[in-house]
Amino acid sequence: MNDAEQTELSELQLWMARLLRTRRDLSRNESVAHQIPLHIMGNPRLSPEEQLEIYREQFWLRHTGSLVEDFPGLGGILGQQDWERLVEEYLESHLPTSYTLRNLGDQLPAFVERLSWLPHRELCTDMARLEWAYIELFDAADAQALSPEKISALSPEAWETAVFELNPAFWLLRVRYPVADLRRALVANRDTVAIPDEGPENLVLYRHERVLKYKTVSDGAFALLEEVHRGIPLGVALERAAERVPTEDFEESLGSWFEQWGRLGWVVDVKQSATVRQPD
Amino acid sequence: MLRDPIEGKLGVPNLGIGMGLRVPHYRTILEQRPAVDFFEIISENFMVAGGKPIYHLERVLETYRVIQHGVSLSIGGPEPLNRNYLTRLKQLVNRVKPAWLSDHFCWCGAGGAHLHDLLPLPYTRAAVSRVAERARAVQDFLEVRFALENTSSYLTYTSSGIPEWEFISEIAERADIGLMFDVNNVYVTCYNQDLDPHQFIRSVPHERIVQIHLAGHTNLGKYIIDTHRGHVIDPVWDLYRETIELAGPVSTIIEWDDDIPPFEVVFAEAERARKVSDAALEARARPSVGAGSAHEFFASGAAGAEPQPLEEVRAWIQGGPRETTAHE
Repeated sequence: MNDAEQTELSELQLWMARLLRTRRDLSRNESVAHQIPLHIMGNPRLSPEEQLEIYREQFWLRHTGSLVEDFPGLGGILGQQDWERLVEEYLESHLPTSYTLRNLGDQLPAFVERLSWLPHRELCTDMARLEWAYIELFDAADAQALSPEKISALSPEAWETAVFELNPAFWLLRVRYPVADLRRALVANRDTVAIPDEGPENLVLYRHERVLKYKTVSDGAFALLEEVHRGIPLGVALERAAERVPTEDFEESLGSWFEQWGRLGWVVDVKQSATVRQPD
Repeated sequence: MLRDPIEGKLGVPNLGIGMGLRVPHYRTILEQRPAVDFFEIISENFMVAGGKPIYHLERVLETYRVIQHGVSLSIGGPEPLNRNYLTRLKQLVNRVKPAWLSDHFCWCGAGGAHLHDLLPLPYTRAAVSRVAERARAVQDFLEVRFALENTSSYLTYTSSGIPEWEFISEIAERADIGLMFDVNNVYVTCYNQDLDPHQFIRSVPHERIVQIHLAGHTNLGKYIIDTHRGHVIDPVWDLYRETIELAGPVSTIIEWDDDIPPFEVVFAEAERARKVSDAALEARARPSVGAGSAHEFFASGAAGAEPQPLEEVRAWIQGGPRETTAHE
């Protein structure tokens, strides 16, 4: 390939890609008006600017449409005007880099958290984190749940060194607002839903039989699930969770928790650790 | 239920007449298992680890032949091909085992940005070299027959020095790949660029056409957008007949991606394609391809539906909506 011709082709594409991401209508953008006819021909029906504008407009419609679909709860909280401003600022500051629109919102929770003008910012941050988690869980790998028999067959000594593997479609999320309930209400009927009061929740988000679900759990159960999720033996996980939540009666709850977690498909495997790791 | 594939071109079978696999039709397809020859999936919608997309794909594969069509390869882009993308694409190929696989003569982004559009390439020797070299590499890597599709375009570059049909023909020959020939895109591009669709159809290497796409579009008067919305219009059926007369039997897919109607409507469109194809094959012994200038074609009363008023400008997405949390 001729290097100079390849460079010229690449420069044309870089120029065009930059223009297609600009927010302003190209026919009103005087700063680029003189450049466009150098590269784009036009025809008797459409000027060069109008031809390019078809693609520029689609860039914005396509990407905002994708975010609307993936973040209905966030859009429902904000209302159209603030939502459009948020999405425009997000797309202007975050290049879409993935080959799939599925990943378009991967930076949106962190962006929302930093956006000082946003009304209900903490609530919006919680909602964005919830909705991104749902996207991740929706097509996460499939895994067969561990049978309750296999869990109950563990000997008392084996529990201490058992390392439980949790489902790939499993996500722990601590929120300051009841956003999972709010999202469900907004998706069902966004016009009549009130903004909720603050109310912290420990959410377990998961996929069961291909349907996304959520469940609130106690502080102790949440702490233990976080430790177990790190892949450490249950004995160590329990010690750490008890230090974090001393008010929880782990000994009393452990059996029923695991029975329930197995039934919900959260636990998919158990292995024995060779040695019992001590807390750090 | 499945018709036996017959020998096609470039070593790939002719699978008959199929449909694009779309989310609103899943229930009908999985519950009723209608007699569709084959389905085409949008590869990117299934390059995921699991969940509903993979579940539905596996259920479809139990009954039907499936081929893959991609929209994100960006084979003509300024950056090297995305190895991660190709690896995941090959994983899907290993799952689906398509008889062939396709993407587009286009680029999708630059400077690290992926714009999720099928941007036209300038028809230059530099673009021919770039795309041909990469197309051959993709075909070798995926170990399955690869084909590229002519896109609809809404602009013309000042640097384009050769006609589009020469551009795609030369790439196909040099890379030894197939042509995914979109007859509706021929119509759309020729309308938008004042070109002669008959000349386009006559000028491509017919022996390399491994698949045909048919779809509706949206005519805004000054230009046409390839929205894959609505029925295939009569002039496009005529161009399809002409293509089959020249190329012989070719696997054909109906695409319908916006305002997707019930399954039965798209199925009926596929059955119409079968009738047109059968009639064209009967007429092959006495071909009567169209002739005339672009001006004559588009000025004639038979050249298309009346322009449609633009009720609402909205995004068009090739392959229709992906299955997302919104479908929960």
